[in-house]
Amino acid sequence: MKHTFQQVFHSGKFVFGFSIFAAILLIVIFYPLIIKDPPLQIVGQGTFFEPGIYVSVYDSIASTRYTLHLDDAAAKRVASKLNEEDRLAMKEWLVKAGIPENEIDVTDTEILLDQWVNNYDPQKNVPGMTNAKRNYFVRLNNSLKGLLSTEGVSIAVKNAETGVLEETGGVKQSDYVNVSRVASVRVLPLGTDNFGRDVLTELVAATRVSLQIGFVAGIIATLIGLTLGLLAGYVGGLVDDAIMFVTNLFTVIPTFVLLILISFSIGQEQRGAFIIAVVIGFTSWVWTARAVRAQVVSLRNRDHVNLSKLSGHSIGHIILTDILPYIASYVVMALILQISAGILTEAGLSILGLGPRTTEVPTLGLMMNWAMVYQAQILGKWWAYFPVLLVIALITFSLNLMNTGLDQVFNPALRD
Amino acid sequence: MSNAMLEVRELTTKYITRFGEDVYAVDHVSLKVEEGKTLGIAGESGCGKSTLALSLMGYYFPPLHYTSGEIIIDGHNISGMDPDVVRKMILGAEIAYIPQSAMNALNPTQKIIHFIEDVIQEHDLYVTKKDISDRARILFETLGLPAEVLQKYPVELSGGMKQRTVIAVSVLLLPKVLIADEPSSALDVTSQKMVIKMLRQLMETGLISSMIFITHELPLLYNVTDDIMVMYAGQIVEKGSAREIVFDPLHPYAKGLMGSIIVPEKGLRDVKLAAIPGVPPNLKNPPSGCRFAKRCKFARMECEAFSIPLRDIGGGRAYRCIIPEKELREIYAKEAYKNAR
Amino acid sequence: MKGYRKYFLNKLAWFLVTFVFAFLLNFILPRLMPGDPVAAIVARLAQGMTNTTGVQAIYEQYTELFGTNKPMLEQFFLYVRNVMRGDFGFSFSQYPRSVADVLRSSIWWTVALQFPAIIVGWLIGNTFGALAAYLKGGFDKVLMPVSIFVSNLPAFGMAVILMVVFAVNLKWFPTSGGYGFDLIPSFTWAFIWSVIIHYQLPFWSIVLIAIGGQAIGMRSMAIYELNADYVKYSRFMGIKDRKIIGYVFRNAMLPQVTGLALSIGTMVGGALVAEIIFSYPGLGSTILTAVRGQDYPLISAATLIITVMVLSANFIIEILYGFIDPRIKAAQAD
Repeated sequence: MKHTFQQVFHSGKFVFGFSIFAAILLIVIFYPLIIKDPPLQIVGQGTFFEPGIYVSVYDSIASTRYTLHLDDAAAKRVASKLNEEDRLAMKEWLVKAGIPENEIDVTDTEILLDQWVNNYDPQKNVPGMTNAKRNYFVRLNNSLKGLLSTEGVSIAVKNAETGVLEETGGVKQSDYVNVSRVASVRVLPLGTDNFGRDVLTELVAATRVSLQIGFVAGIIATLIGLTLGLLAGYVGGLVDDAIMFVTNLFTVIPTFVLLILISFSIGQEQRGAFIIAVVIGFTSWVWTARAVRAQVVSLRNRDHVNLSKLSGHSIGHIILTDILPYIASYVVMALILQISAGILTEAGLSILGLGPRTTEVPTLGLMMNWAMVYQAQILGKWWAYFPVLLVIALITFSLNLMNTGLDQVFNPALRD
Repeated sequence: MSNAMLEVRELTTKYITRFGEDVYAVDHVSLKVEEGKTLGIAGESGCGKSTLALSLMGYYFPPLHYTSGEIIIDGHNISGMDPDVVRKMILGAEIAYIPQSAMNALNPTQKIIHFIEDVIQEHDLYVTKKDISDRARILFETLGLPAEVLQKYPVELSGGMKQRTVIAVSVLLLPKVLIADEPSSALDVTSQKMVIKMLRQLMETGLISSMIFITHELPLLYNVTDDIMVMYAGQIVEKGSAREIVFDPLHPYAKGLMGSIIVPEKGLRDVKLAAIPGVPPNLKNPPSGCRFAKRCKFARMECEAFSIPLRDIGGGRAYRCIIPEKELREIYAKEAYKNAR
Repeated sequence: MKGYRKYFLNKLAWFLVTFVFAFLLNFILPRLMPGDPVAAIVARLAQGMTNTTGVQAIYEQYTELFGTNKPMLEQFFLYVRNVMRGDFGFSFSQYPRSVADVLRSSIWWTVALQFPAIIVGWLIGNTFGALAAYLKGGFDKVLMPVSIFVSNLPAFGMAVILMVVFAVNLKWFPTSGGYGFDLIPSFTWAFIWSVIIHYQLPFWSIVLIAIGGQAIGMRSMAIYELNADYVKYSRFMGIKDRKIIGYVFRNAMLPQVTGLALSIGTMVGGALVAEIIFSYPGLGSTILTAVRGQDYPLISAATLIITVMVLSANFIIEILYGFIDPRIKAAQAD
């Protein structure tokens, strides 16, 4: 046994896959301990907030102010207000005003501003310009002037009694707050989804649930497959024929479709994560049963088994001590693959809307479903679906890698 | 003075492993097979007999590579010939190879006759299918195989039948030299007998001019071969006529080998079966001296010091040992006396 | 041809048996589950708890057709009769359309998309796998990791990736639908072109996934075959490599064909989900809307149809296999 472990952990592929999987497991376990928010709590009002650090504006105002003089602060301020359209418009005007085109760089805000300020004249009659356009430039100029001014803004509070706004303080352009001192700051590394939930927290919780479903489904499927395979392979005869018949039936009949039927029929109320896992487990044992049976059949006539038979051991004893240890490696590999398949199946079901209830726990498939239904991909809100896909891919990839590694350890002929 | 059908001089071939190491499986081997004669190659598994057989064909598939030496078939030196020419003119036509476990040598999804058609068409482009079919039928019937076999798939034939079919296909082009690599090892005794009979018939009718018979089954050697070559760890350790090698081997390994044959006769119950302890050396780093020294009962210090050349003692007899013939015989006599008591 | 008869009958018998079994499952499973949708329909009907008379009418019509208040055995025969006639009742979610009508329009989209996609993917995947095994070197080193990665992606994953890259960002293809929203199905060139454009992304999603899965398997098979004894022997008899490759691939293909027959079920399942990602008007989307609308008759019929499709495909492939594996004919002949 120890030797097997050594070999297994020497296999590069296995170790690589295992580390990825272990990393995911660790994150899933430890993250909720650090961030204790319930995963389905609606954090944002509105849909699809971008990833970023969200600072409470109100609390910033109340926070201690520090004065910083940064050279590029003004330029940055203006730059963030000037969108591409405006810049191109400015360039257009400048060109018409006679500035040579190659001197105008739309991307360099400072220079552009400079040129604008020096050259813009609302009175100037630019040929071919409509009124609407002229008004647009006037507005643009005014807003720029506003940006360029060094005045701060005032803070006013409504007087409870008179209802009149009274100035209570101001914010200067050189005022900065220390974000770590602000009372309420929320980091949303993956933004929010369409409901306004923190995607990262949701994702971790969803991974946990999906893994659980995968484990349960995988274990059930492996147990069923193992039992049926053992029986069919060892007992043989009619039992074998019967089991093989059923197995073949389920091979050809698309089990995903059966799952759809079953899941729908269970009904929304009953469809908890566990039930789904059980159902998946009960419909995906086919491949394992077949593989186990093949192994058992080849073992059945080996000498040590015959020896046990001659010694009068019971069937149960023979199966436990003579056959199981030899197929243990296959069973482990089958389990890994079943877990992987279970997770994918759940994802598929959830996308159809037949996954676990949506009100209690998220699953990876459900997150995909929401993203899809609310058209995250089309709107370009990548954070709502891409991390989910990545996690799914990583999980299946690491599991498959572990499986291939194990396969090469137990089956030297496959070593390349 | 009969013609040497096959003459090999100092042939050396090597395997290049995945890691780029050279393993010299065939190390400066020389041999000669006369017309009408059968040469047997004996030795334990892994001694290089099969590799030698593969090396003789003149066509090398990686990881096997030709290093040096000459192979002359009926006067033509084929070593160093262009591989395409070898493929067209030599393989199958001048020298043919019957692989080990020939039963798997046939394409499972192809009828025998179609395979034969492919073979003949590779060598002789303008023969009609009818000609091929006739030729095949005649050959098969001559060799005692029913003509229906031609229309069957390999899966429909028994193991022994498949083996004999492979032999028949191998001699289709009437090669001068036939190399049979363990032709009967994987078969039951009855089939074995049929295979041997077939091979013998091939020689007797002159369909093939000479044969190399490779086996690790020693009892066969005496009945089938005219001369025997004993191989160990990639080298020839003794050669001579069949009678000489079987009944009067000189090299300690050959002696040990022949001593392990069980011959049913009176007094067998009391005879101890002598096994040679130990395992052959790893050919990645062959020992510099005698490769058998570590397992040799009679080894001396000088044995492992420097490489031992083949000692020719005339009459086609040679062996690779530093102990002179007379001394060896004395040693063996003493051993026999000891064991008899 | 005589030799095929036994094989053909064998496969036909199996097809019928699985069909009957699937049929039974389709009938029994919903009624066995805790949320028995049929019973729910009856309950809702009995209580008259629905707001619109329209909905009440739907339930009435269903119980009328399928006899849900009768004993199970009678229900079953009614069910058989209805299916034979092609009458699945009215769709709950798309009343007054009948289920058969809904299915009729979506089934062809699915068949036209999935089966060519799966076959094309299978062909290309096997070719790549075979080439990788034969050519080794650079091609192999590139193909392997790519195939491993792709084969680990679920079908919908590939669908999303393709959509994001090609439809949203590059805007080369539309993001959804089977044809332009502004078009009405007709035989005009504009319509046909629109269909073709909308077909691309779903098609290639399925094809790429199939390639990933097949390439690895075929490569292993081909490597195994290339090292087979008969390859060595053929070479020693002087046969050209090119011809030997022909042998090898023919032999390596055979288990791949069987593999295809066995995995069609899973592939179709994955492809259905991919359809949904693209809102492609096939059975995938039909099921999606049916689930949302608690439309039991539609779901029941859709699953049955899909199962029958898969079983038929499996049957056809098995028959084809009998033709391409010469040993089958030989084994049957004696």
